[in-house]
Amino acid sequence: MAPVVRAESLTKRFGKLTAVDNLSFALEPGTITGFLGPNGAGKTTTLRMLLGLAAPSAGQALIFERPYAQIERPALRIGAVLEATDFHPGRSGRNHLRTLSQAVGIPDSRVDEVLRTVELDSAARRRVKGYSLGMRQRLGLAAALLGDPELLVLDEPANGLDPEGVRWLRDFLRRFAGSGHTVLVSSHVLAEVAQTVDHVLIINRGKLVRESRLDELTATIGGAVIVRSPQAEQLADALRRAEIEAIAQDHRLLVHGTTTERVGEIAAAAGIVLHELRTEESSLEEVFLELTAERPE
Amino acid sequence: MIAQSRAELLKIRSTRTTLGLGLGMVAIILLFVILAGLLSDLNGLAGAENERQFFGTGSGSGLFAALAGIMLVTGEYRFGTIRPTLLFTPRRSTVLNAKVIASVLAGIALAVTGEVLAVAVGEVILHSRGVAVDLDRHDWTLLTIGTVGGTALWGAIGVGLGMIVRNQVGAIIGLLAWLFLVENLLFGLAPSVGRYVPSQAQNALMGFTTDHLLSPAAGAAVLVVWTVVLCVVGAALAARRDVS
Repeated sequence: MAPVVRAESLTKRFGKLTAVDNLSFALEPGTITGFLGPNGAGKTTTLRMLLGLAAPSAGQALIFERPYAQIERPALRIGAVLEATDFHPGRSGRNHLRTLSQAVGIPDSRVDEVLRTVELDSAARRRVKGYSLGMRQRLGLAAALLGDPELLVLDEPANGLDPEGVRWLRDFLRRFAGSGHTVLVSSHVLAEVAQTVDHVLIINRGKLVRESRLDELTATIGGAVIVRSPQAEQLADALRRAEIEAIAQDHRLLVHGTTTERVGEIAAAAGIVLHELRTEESSLEEVFLELTAERPE
Repeated sequence: MIAQSRAELLKIRSTRTTLGLGLGMVAIILLFVILAGLLSDLNGLAGAENERQFFGTGSGSGLFAALAGIMLVTGEYRFGTIRPTLLFTPRRSTVLNAKVIASVLAGIALAVTGEVLAVAVGEVILHSRGVAVDLDRHDWTLLTIGTVGGTALWGAIGVGLGMIVRNQVGAIIGLLAWLFLVENLLFGLAPSVGRYVPSQAQNALMGFTTDHLLSPAAGAAVLVVWTVVLCVVGAALAARRDVS
């Protein structure tokens, strides 16, 4: 199947600064891809080139195998939100959507439908000025959904959302992708999207540093298990007998290449008391930080 | 193009900016008609040229049409709506043309309002002061074409200027400085050049017979050239510039 999004040697220079440097990647249909990197890594610039708002200095950015500007009525296939605050404060949320829907012949009934989808129907006729940041985020998303697109491109959609908003967004994106649609979502915090995405594209200083499935990335880390026990030394011996290596840290053990279940079973069999047993959630984040760490040139 | 123009008209109608501009225009035109009508001595009101200028006050709508055109473009950059606008309609020339059409229509609405107001209030004042209106059908025709057509073109000029400058405050200050300073200085100091500025071209189109003005037809042509040049330059820049 042809990729939904394809970047080929995509490059953007601003004077001497190379914001995006020879970036190549492809997104398959039906995937949710996290586009990750620290602030200033070139994520937004890449998205702007994909969406036809900025012209590449070299290479090309294609959606459905074409430059965005050459797609006929692109809003019917692609929904995108680049900034959460792109509204005229004096215009109502509903009228904001209508200024977009009318341009491509989408009926007002669809406007009301997406307003319900993002749960803004009761505030639809109020001016955006009075909206909270979360409401603005959802209004932006509503605009992206107007054309019932197959692809959603969202730039830092979780920025400024409260935890409830983040969960709402996560559920929404899962439902959206569940129906075979494709999502490209950028973030500077891996943890923010780790529960949502199945693929990751990690860039740093405009260059691709990692492109993989999220579970493969997790597997390379080995998903460290953290276990705390007053009998840490005995547990380390028991694990060693089961051919599992553990690294001791005070009363804690850091165990690679196993699961919490296995460690728990070994401890029980040896009659060892455990005070804590969990998977190290931050290890994924540590890999991300490692991949995107500032290195001297 | 038609769909995009409808969307642009909705942008104009759906904020209070336009209402504010319209009310501002009504206030300014009323103020000038009333002041000129009540404070001028009778010699300053009688006679065809004086009356053309008196009733021509309605063409003050041109300034407000230009401001509306500027806002229609620069508001998109100021509030970031240019991003969703271009995501829905990536062809920038389509967006620009639609904005020109919407702004021209808004200009016509403003001009008709302004002119009706100026003529209605002006007639009442002249009548009450016992001044007979000396204008013939030809005068009224030019006055109407000059006010309505000129204001419509000012709407398009505003869009072109907005596309070139993009910064709202910069574009508005630039326009005001041009209208109230540069044009007046040029026409005052070097009328052979100054008669080609847009406002004087519009005055010529309205049939004013002030010294040095072009003929109405030449005035119309010059105003159209200004409009086209600004819009073409604006379109060329819009096609090339990245949107942040």
